[in-house]
Amino acid sequence: MRILLALIHWAFVLAMPIFLIGLVNRSKSWWVGRKGPRLLQSAFDLWRLLGKRPVVSTAASPLFRPGAYVVLVCGLLAASMTPMLGQFAPLQFSHDFIVVAYTLGLARIVLMISAIEVGSSFEGMGAAREASFSTYAEPVLFLLIGTASAATGMTSFADLIGHLHNTPYYAIIVAPLVLALLILLQAEAARVPVDDPMTHLELTMIHEVMILDHSGPELAVMQYAAALKMSMYAGLIAALINPFNPFSDPLAGILASLALMLTVAVVVGCIESLSARLPMRWVPAYLLIASVAALGSMVVIGLGASGV
Amino acid sequence: MNQLILAVLVLMLGAGLCLLPTSNRIRAGIGLISQAIATLLAWSVVIPVLMGGPDIAGEMPWAYPIGELHFRLDALGAFFLSWSLPMTFLGSIYAVGYMQKHFQGPRHLGVHFALLNMVSVSFLLVYTGEHAVTFLFGWEIAALAAWLLVIWDYPNQKVRFAGFNYLVSTHVGLIFLVAAVMILYTHSHSWFLDDFGDWMSRNPGTLRNGVFLLLVTSFGLKSAFFPFHSWLPRAHAAAPAHVSALMSGVIHKAGLYALVRFLLLLGKPDEWMGWFLIVFSVTSAVVGGLYTVGQRDLKRLLGYSSTENVGIAGIGFGAGCLGLTWDIPSLVMLGFGGGLLHVLNHAFFKCQLFYAAGCVYQIKHVIDMERLGGLFKQMPVTAVCFIIGGVAISALPPFNGFASEFMIYSGLFSNDSIGVWAKLALSLAATALAFVGAVSALSITRAFGVVFLGNSRDASLPEAHEASRWMLIPMGIHALGTVLLGVAPVLGFAMVAAPTALLMHHLPHTVTTENLHAMISTLTRIGAISGALLASISVMVWLRFRFFAQSPVRNATWGCGYDAPNTRMQYTGASFSTDFAERFKNVMVLLKREKAPTGYFPSDSYVITDCVDAVERRLYSVIGHGDETATEVSRKMQEDDPRLAFSAGLAALVAIAALVLLAEGALP
Repeated sequence: MRILLALIHWAFVLAMPIFLIGLVNRSKSWWVGRKGPRLLQSAFDLWRLLGKRPVVSTAASPLFRPGAYVVLVCGLLAASMTPMLGQFAPLQFSHDFIVVAYTLGLARIVLMISAIEVGSSFEGMGAAREASFSTYAEPVLFLLIGTASAATGMTSFADLIGHLHNTPYYAIIVAPLVLALLILLQAEAARVPVDDPMTHLELTMIHEVMILDHSGPELAVMQYAAALKMSMYAGLIAALINPFNPFSDPLAGILASLALMLTVAVVVGCIESLSARLPMRWVPAYLLIASVAALGSMVVIGLGASGV
Repeated sequence: MNQLILAVLVLMLGAGLCLLPTSNRIRAGIGLISQAIATLLAWSVVIPVLMGGPDIAGEMPWAYPIGELHFRLDALGAFFLSWSLPMTFLGSIYAVGYMQKHFQGPRHLGVHFALLNMVSVSFLLVYTGEHAVTFLFGWEIAALAAWLLVIWDYPNQKVRFAGFNYLVSTHVGLIFLVAAVMILYTHSHSWFLDDFGDWMSRNPGTLRNGVFLLLVTSFGLKSAFFPFHSWLPRAHAAAPAHVSALMSGVIHKAGLYALVRFLLLLGKPDEWMGWFLIVFSVTSAVVGGLYTVGQRDLKRLLGYSSTENVGIAGIGFGAGCLGLTWDIPSLVMLGFGGGLLHVLNHAFFKCQLFYAAGCVYQIKHVIDMERLGGLFKQMPVTAVCFIIGGVAISALPPFNGFASEFMIYSGLFSNDSIGVWAKLALSLAATALAFVGAVSALSITRAFGVVFLGNSRDASLPEAHEASRWMLIPMGIHALGTVLLGVAPVLGFAMVAAPTALLMHHLPHTVTTENLHAMISTLTRIGAISGALLASISVMVWLRFRFFAQSPVRNATWGCGYDAPNTRMQYTGASFSTDFAERFKNVMVLLKREKAPTGYFPSDSYVITDCVDAVERRLYSVIGHGDETATEVSRKMQEDDPRLAFSAGLAALVAIAALVLLAEGALP
């Protein structure tokens, strides 16, 4: 059973980055009345990039090109511990969420370093923004886990998230937690309103500007890793809402998670079509909303347990 | 015990002999040899104790009024000794390279190496001293030796000031420590730490709380916890690199040692003590972390990150304290074990980072980040060592900082049966730790990016090349340790296990063993994950460059159509951090000096942002105001007025009488 679930989890991890990006772009096209690109378009883009010969800046050090693969490996490792199908992840042990957060941290630091490598002021700017926004985003995940840990008494990431819907105050805290995760997704996967992947002005970019000097296979890897991060957060949201236990009710659980992840992508696409990117100086405040939402659910758990 | 006494004698003899020869080369040689011998001698007794052997005790008759000096080496002292001595030895090796240009010069290098020997002596005294006087004596030797080492470049006024600042702060700390010892002495009528412990564990209450606060203040000053850190950035910036490294990584760990030692003696701590330690340490970690962001002096930056890291270790100790109060063995294990492991790991990566900064300074003669850049290509070894240390200091896998923070986090997310609010409060501390991690990733990226990546910003500086082997080898050994303790944290835990078990001595043996085994399996898993991460990255990169080996086209960096960029247009450290730092301007003081370009043909315009220490600034302004007020008051008083003299005398008598009344019963 576990092996089967693990295989499906891995299929999700590997395929979802392509489909979710496709779906986000599709839903954006629906809003503007276009037909839109194919769902698999980003796979074709990646394939095209893989065949290209890279151009590397003369300022870059030997660390520059391996950096992309560090980012990818870290993303895959983190994805293997992140629940997507409810209370299950292929790699699961107590306090694995710390490993998830910190491997993503390693990916981030390597991404920022590769951005600064080339000595461009644009990319330095992107890295500085990524670094400072991540200081607001990082605590959110831990607040969320603290809430779930106090509520369920579990220690592994998948159990924390998956068991949450058995706890008494689930109905109250699910909405703020989903909101917090959605904001995290937008921040970490560089979506509107934190960052705009479609912008053409370097001064307003965060993620795109950091990979300006990447090209060919390395660019493909970086883009895939970014999409992977988005599907991880979408998977987390799915696992949080998914009411089915993947062990007792595998088919329903898997289908529910799939549907939920696709819904998240549509929601992200809709937000992207209906709102503009926030001014940079408001982004920290936007991320604080996530912190406040998570803190709020923490207080609910505390009050609930002390019988208020 | 004999070996330890012998080690002290060898070190002192070496220190004395260092001063005699006429050639600097021989002086340094004597210093190094005596350090090496002393390290080996000490290891021969320290390692058995650390591996679970019995304590070693010794006595030495001494003159009245001290009586007998007692020494005892237990697992805790053995743990600190086991790495302090060799790291001091490595620092002395580094000193040979760092001081290279002085070998032919007129300066007497023997003094420098003799002082390094004295630092090692102080470790032997502090970490084995069972008698309060020995302990204080070692404490003071460390302070004085460190001060003299800091002011190596004494003709420079700034260095003298930094040294003096350090000297005063460390003695303020000593006053608190002496006060605590005096209180303990008056109550236990003994000079022995064990008797102090006896008294403290039997008399919880106001007085014990007072002693605890005095001790935490003193150890906080020693280890540079916020807000007692103001001496630290100055001293670290002024001292030679190896001295900064040793102070930050090794010498000031004595404060943490003493903290754990007294917690061990304290018996069962009150609940508030654990929470107090956690809040104190979290503040220290957060503020220290924030301050690293704004610094432009690489060594100041690393100095502030010491404040951050002692805070992180302190969080672990605080959690461990709560575990003692609540009788939760796993929390004690995770808290103290994680804290101690972090102390060890910090010693490894912090020395390494300071050594790398020292290499940069030695070659470029500049430590201001904004003037450096692009050093990776000329100094690859230094750069790689720096980034390994940087990843470790941000507590990221696969290096050692991650393992110890993982333990501390696991303690904070404990699933034991504690109150839900306590659980939530602990997870808030974990959240703060996550914030600190992200901030330190920011400042390390900034430091590494600005100094080592991109292109050189200042062509007037000397051409870069790799520093001498004397400097690279100690740095490399530290880097090796950082990686090794990352992929095999069990090795580090093997060193920490015995001192942690010491804190659980009141529990049945089986409970301790059970927890130790659980911890070992957790850490093995963490090590395996770090190793797997490292291996899969290597495999992936190897596959990429083995099978798709088409060489890339080299071209200029994307300039958005602008084709005359120069190296001064690169993102600087200040531009990297200003966005972030300005949101915390209540905590950090950012001083901005600027001259805007004016006219049609502007020339000579600049913006300089400096992050100064808010505590220090406040301290000086308070002292300045106090000084002014005192002058003002004394000017107003007429000295020949007899009423004034009488009333002052009366006030003094009342104060003395009150003290005597208050102290009744306290005196023997």
